[in-house]
Amino acid sequence: MASPYAQDAGVRTGMRRGGVLMLLPDARIHERAPTLEADARQAVALALLQYTPQVAEGEESTLLMDVGASLRLFGGIRALCRRVRANVRALGFTASLACAPTARGAWLLARANAGRAVRMEALLRRLDRLAVLLMPPARPYAAWFDGIGCHTLGDLRRLPRPGLQRRCGRELLDLLDAAYGLVPELYEWIAPPETFRARLELYDRIDDADLLLAGAQCLLLQLTGWLCARQLAVERITLQLEHERGRVARPPTSVEVVLAEPTWRDEHLVRLLKERLGRLTLEAPVIGLALEALQVRPMAPPNASLFPEPGGSEEDRMRMLELLAARLGPENVLQPLPLADYRPEQANVWVPVQQKVSARARDAQLPPDVLSLPRPTWLLARPIALLMRDHRPFYGSPLRMASNPERIEAGWWDGPETRDYFIAEGLDHTLYWVYRERIGMGEDGPKWFLHGLFG
Amino acid sequence: MFIQYFFASYMNCSGSISAAPEALHPSLWLASQLARSDTRCIDTGHPTLSAQLPGGGWPTGTLVDLLLQQPGIGEMRLLRPALAAVAQRRIVLLQPPHPPQALAMAALGVPPSQLIWLRATRTADALWAAEQVLRSGSCGALLFWQNNIRADNLRRLHLAAQAGETLFFMMRPLAAGQDASPAPLRLSLRPQAGGIEIGFVKRRGPQRDATLFLPLNSYLPNRHAPVDRTAPAPVAAGGVHTELVH
Repeated sequence: MASPYAQDAGVRTGMRRGGVLMLLPDARIHERAPTLEADARQAVALALLQYTPQVAEGEESTLLMDVGASLRLFGGIRALCRRVRANVRALGFTASLACAPTARGAWLLARANAGRAVRMEALLRRLDRLAVLLMPPARPYAAWFDGIGCHTLGDLRRLPRPGLQRRCGRELLDLLDAAYGLVPELYEWIAPPETFRARLELYDRIDDADLLLAGAQCLLLQLTGWLCARQLAVERITLQLEHERGRVARPPTSVEVVLAEPTWRDEHLVRLLKERLGRLTLEAPVIGLALEALQVRPMAPPNASLFPEPGGSEEDRMRMLELLAARLGPENVLQPLPLADYRPEQANVWVPVQQKVSARARDAQLPPDVLSLPRPTWLLARPIALLMRDHRPFYGSPLRMASNPERIEAGWWDGPETRDYFIAEGLDHTLYWVYRERIGMGEDGPKWFLHGLFG
Repeated sequence: MFIQYFFASYMNCSGSISAAPEALHPSLWLASQLARSDTRCIDTGHPTLSAQLPGGGWPTGTLVDLLLQQPGIGEMRLLRPALAAVAQRRIVLLQPPHPPQALAMAALGVPPSQLIWLRATRTADALWAAEQVLRSGSCGALLFWQNNIRADNLRRLHLAAQAGETLFFMMRPLAAGQDASPAPLRLSLRPQAGGIEIGFVKRRGPQRDATLFLPLNSYLPNRHAPVDRTAPAPVAAGGVHTELVH
């Protein structure tokens, strides 16, 4: 095989190494690796399982898909071809795609790179013009076919069948009949594995998050195919970034993504991985990626309502929060979990959104009459000691106590507080929540602190 | 804005026009009128304020600039009725100046289960988070505190807000009122005894220089009423039923 650039320079299939190097001195020549080719075919087949459960491997690096039942779902043959082509390109391969009413016909069209033939008559016309030598059983008799002037499949069909069978064997006729739809075809469909683990070897040492994401996308595409084929949705995946084995062996860096709502589509996973990889600092360049589906559950059909909710479904909400947590960090996306405690700091507890909090547990902690408690909207992270001027606390302006004291005296078991809370008013009528320490009074009068702002 | 001035001058020149501009198209109005809002509005809960806003409430799906003298001057009490109205969906507090207190928010009518507090270490992260929240459209309101923000970022957020129906308030210091902003509604807020003073920096309607005083329900208890005094006992006529006395 030669790349288009090499073909322009005159390199042809079957040339010797020395001849190629004479035409293109800086050509890179690789040996064929059958195991790698098989792996690649397997990866593409796994990714294409998302379009149909019936994918089979054909001869000479081809994949056959029965898409008859999937056409409507994916919006017709053109849209489906476009998606398949995009998927194969995303996986990093080039393919020639052909469609035909018979699998063998499609195989022949794809080998000749002759495009689509959707109706049977069109297929017959196209097939008649194809070269005889495309069929593997005809190749040993190439000289004979050339000698009798039989160049196309149309010529071949006009030859007498008994004589052809005696000379060239049964397979040639079987293949011809299968292509023209005269006999039924049987294939062994590829069965998806029980568990999913895909590996990708990168072509270079990589430490760029965008490039890693492109690699991870290949693996996610295979995951999507596997999930669709097995009718599963994924809850937890891990992406392992394998490092080069240098002087010290380095364990692979693991990126684990846990989903609140199981999914079988890759867009959300790609977005989550993008944010996670962007935050990651790599200790060493990455040479390989491995993706594993750790936790799966049966796919639940979408619960569609007749009138869509204006704010989107609960799943959309969870997806948004997951995405926020992936970039900002789970400790920065918080929900309140108030605690029944007299001390304001201890009562105001916020926990990560991912933590499951039942509504009953939350309501049980709320005081029965929320409205009677004068609590400030903003509670300072740590109280500010106030200056004293003329025996009055001072914050921007002298503060005037505008309410009766609320005495809070609790927490002898951990961090006792003995405070008198007041609502104080500044000269500009801003309200502050201040307190006076009752124990530990300094020599210059009681100590005052600012603890909250009334929003 | 151009159309607004154009029509005003046109009216003056020709003196008579067959149809009033507001009857021609919903997005036309005279400079002396308040615009009709093209988005859904949520009632502010304060009739005097609603009367001064185009559309009669806080517009959803647009950027609303609130310029605060400092945090904690009654801005949450001002927004309380609107927040309570959209509280069936999540309310996101992005980078508030101090830790919010769930009990106080519950007293304002926002149940704690609907609150999300987002913290961001970098400005870029905060802007990204705001955009994600606005684009997802699954939250009722977004309150975003940010002191310094570039005009192109504001425009980007304004565009993102238009994608959904989220109530979006930007809380910025008073000094930011000097800078241009794509927000169609900008109000300045200052504390005042027993309420809040609202200045109209920008609105789709006539220029209003006078500020609006809005009384807010105060946290201050009435200090004089609840004195522990025994109520005078109802006079009973010596154990005899009243009907029997006559």
